[in-house]
Amino acid sequence: MQTRETLINRLTKINRYINEDDIVVVFEYNLKNDSDNEKVDGFIVVLKDKLFNYLNDNIIEEFELKDVKEFKISLGVGCIFIECKLNETEEDRMICRSDMAYNRLYAAITKRLNKYLEQNKYTYNYEEEMMKACPKCGRPFAPGSTYCEHCVKKKEYLKRLYVIAKPYRKYIFITIILFFIITACTLITPYISKIIVDEYIVSEHPELVVLSSFIIMIIAMVAVDLFSQALGIIRSLTLIKAGNSLVVKLRELIFNKIQQLSLSRISKRTAGELMHRVTGDTSQLQHFITREVGNIIEQLLIFIAIGTYLFIYNWQLALMIILPLPVVIVASRMFWRFIHRIYHRQWNYEAKSSTMLHDIFSGIRVVKSFGMEKQEKDRYDEQIAKLRDTSIKNERFWAIVSPFLNLLVSAGEFFLLYYVGSKVIGGEMTLGQMAQFSVYVGIIYGPMRWMGNLPRYLVRVMTSIVKIFDIIDEKIEVSDKDTAVDLDIKGYIDIENMSFGYDETVDVLKNINLSIKPGEMIGIVGRSGVGKSTLINLVMRLYDVGEGSIKIDGVDLREISQESLRSQIGVVLQETFLFSGTIYDNIAYAKADATRDEIITASKIAGAHQFIMKLPEAYNTKVGERGYTLSGGERQRVSIARALLHDPRILILDEATASLDCETEKQIQDSLQKLIKDRTTLAIAHRLSTLRNATRLIVLDKGTVAEVGTHEELLRKKGIYYGLVMAQRQMSKMSKEAGT
Amino acid sequence: MEENVITETKTSLNDVISVVYFNAENAVFDVKNNFLTLDAKLKNEQGETEDKKFPRVYLHRAFPFDNPFSYISVLDKDNKEIGIIRELKDLDENSQNLIVDELHRKYYAPSIKTIQSVKERYGYSYWKVTSDAGDLSFTLQDTFRSILKVGNNRVFIVDIDNNRYEIPDVEALDFKSYKKIELYL
Repeated sequence: MQTRETLINRLTKINRYINEDDIVVVFEYNLKNDSDNEKVDGFIVVLKDKLFNYLNDNIIEEFELKDVKEFKISLGVGCIFIECKLNETEEDRMICRSDMAYNRLYAAITKRLNKYLEQNKYTYNYEEEMMKACPKCGRPFAPGSTYCEHCVKKKEYLKRLYVIAKPYRKYIFITIILFFIITACTLITPYISKIIVDEYIVSEHPELVVLSSFIIMIIAMVAVDLFSQALGIIRSLTLIKAGNSLVVKLRELIFNKIQQLSLSRISKRTAGELMHRVTGDTSQLQHFITREVGNIIEQLLIFIAIGTYLFIYNWQLALMIILPLPVVIVASRMFWRFIHRIYHRQWNYEAKSSTMLHDIFSGIRVVKSFGMEKQEKDRYDEQIAKLRDTSIKNERFWAIVSPFLNLLVSAGEFFLLYYVGSKVIGGEMTLGQMAQFSVYVGIIYGPMRWMGNLPRYLVRVMTSIVKIFDIIDEKIEVSDKDTAVDLDIKGYIDIENMSFGYDETVDVLKNINLSIKPGEMIGIVGRSGVGKSTLINLVMRLYDVGEGSIKIDGVDLREISQESLRSQIGVVLQETFLFSGTIYDNIAYAKADATRDEIITASKIAGAHQFIMKLPEAYNTKVGERGYTLSGGERQRVSIARALLHDPRILILDEATASLDCETEKQIQDSLQKLIKDRTTLAIAHRLSTLRNATRLIVLDKGTVAEVGTHEELLRKKGIYYGLVMAQRQMSKMSKEAGT
Repeated sequence: MEENVITETKTSLNDVISVVYFNAENAVFDVKNNFLTLDAKLKNEQGETEDKKFPRVYLHRAFPFDNPFSYISVLDKDNKEIGIIRELKDLDENSQNLIVDELHRKYYAPSIKTIQSVKERYGYSYWKVTSDAGDLSFTLQDTFRSILKVGNNRVFIVDIDNNRYEIPDVEALDFKSYKKIELYL
């Protein structure tokens, strides 16, 4: 994407008379306006009074801005358009088209252009929108992240990891020392065995061999081995301790971060992805620290130590051992790439067939009621057959190829045997030295083989580390300002010129203005998806508004501490989620110090007490997963009790009574009615009778407030609300007729 | 939820839904200022046929993957369906061409001819391809979930920005390109 600067440079080259100060916006596009889908190089310049369209540096179109009523975005599939509406004819005109990489940029630009049309003011600060790509390499950032995977400084991350690991450094230090000692032991053993062979077993003077010192040598060998094993245990224990503590610490950091993130950031990731961040990536790291770090140090030390020894002892020999190294590495990597492919395919088929099973079993009622057992069986059989064939193919391949591969790897050892063997025969080397050598060679081939896989391990763990820090570094969107105050809420809510969209292109709510006084019950109605729940989410400040403001008691939401705000808002959501625990725990969720009297009172108002007392374990009944299953209506009543418990100043009911039968709903409504009197209540309901007590109704349509008034006023108006009421009356009439 | 039930019951009981299908007799498409217009003969509530002019209509494919050029919904500026084009050949020739052009413009999905390279790093994959729209490079976030197999050999790739790329027949790709994408299929 070209920056403003580049485009202005190009522009001034084409037309020297353009003054930079006259440019309102300049931005590029990469597709033509017609159906020709070849990428093009064009840009749009909006000057104070005119808009120009440049294609390949030639003006192809121009507009007078005074003719334009508004700019807007229209979405294709895989491409995005900027259009405008003309003043006189109300006709639409196309301005430009680009692929979806321009999504955010175009959204920002149209907003800015419209502001310019309205207020004749313009600003330059849209460039951050443009700089979505990494400034260093030009590759796009992942959504929601502010680092570039390519230019990330791995060293920096490792440094930060080291800082986090500070309390556990002593363990790391101990292990490194242990590694040195253990490596030394590994090297000593073959040396002792050389002495045993040369000076005792094939001694040139067997009559001089002292049996007791022979036994001492063997005991020494055992002792060294035991010693190194014991140190090995200590080493593993300290590593495990360090690794686990670090991982717990990281999990804490990530979990805290996720809790602080705004709902909009969280909902951009799935629950599964977040779980994976907290558990998967950290255990990847844990595995790396407890297993691989040890390996890396150990293998490197061994490699260096034996390598040096061999070179000093006989450099030709050493070269001979090391020369096959590149071949071995290349061969095993190629082999791995290949085997990885076919195993991957097998893994894929396995995953698919288990998904299919899961699918069929969870839909078993549908399968049976449509009599599709046979078809499902065939479908599954087919999938299983594919899996079987691939896995036979893989096993066969493995069985044939792996012996050859092993042969290749050990080919070097055969050469060595020949070389060393002939030296022993020629008398240049002793049998003991040969034994020592072959052990060393055996040991050194270990690290050599293993080094081929090292890059893979490193990439995997770096991926996890990068992703862990990605979350830890994420900017908290909805955060408390330093100046945020604790407010004793009275219940005035003022919404002024408020707009909000979940992403930049589409505003869900546009220019909302509302003023609500304490004691009012506001009913919010409108079609599904019109933004009712969004509106109350904004009042709770689960998201921050895009433009305009929401004020409580005259204080902007963003100036109130979130804790004080939410502790005074009681919410009953559409989704009535119960945590696993008792009913008591669930009601007392947000007020741990609630007395039993308070809980019973809240439950009574919510109409929950009655059904709870019918359960054998009453308030101590376990609910949630593996617990007693409450019906939809029962859960809803528990949620209402939960919301009422901390005596909120603002009560938010999002379809709070939708799962209840009309009678129970009426009971709850009546008891709520007393409660609502001196509080502010916002209620969403599709069943319009639920809102009959509302002091005012707000009808949302197309993201704006379409109608405001009491039930009677709106009925007289015969607008949208009237239509909704009539539709419901007709509906209930029909169901009555159907019932009789 | 409840509202959906209402509208469903209402429509299915009050008026037996009849889908308006466009053909050469009842619809003529044209283009003005880059946008598609429609002249249609439609039945009003009284059942009389009326001439209606739409200064701008939008198209939407009902089966974008398996039937991209039939069953095309024609929508007005409020996104309300006016009717459906069942087959392109039902329309007059000029309208047919205009519809095809408009579809090509709205549904932008370069068709991939060869895959030059695929590099995976830190959970993202970076692709370089040659397409009918020239050389392109793009990034996928979750590679497996971004590559959709449609039908037997047709593949759709959705990149990090929500751009779409199409491979009409993966098996018709050259061997090297095929090897690069095979892993994800």
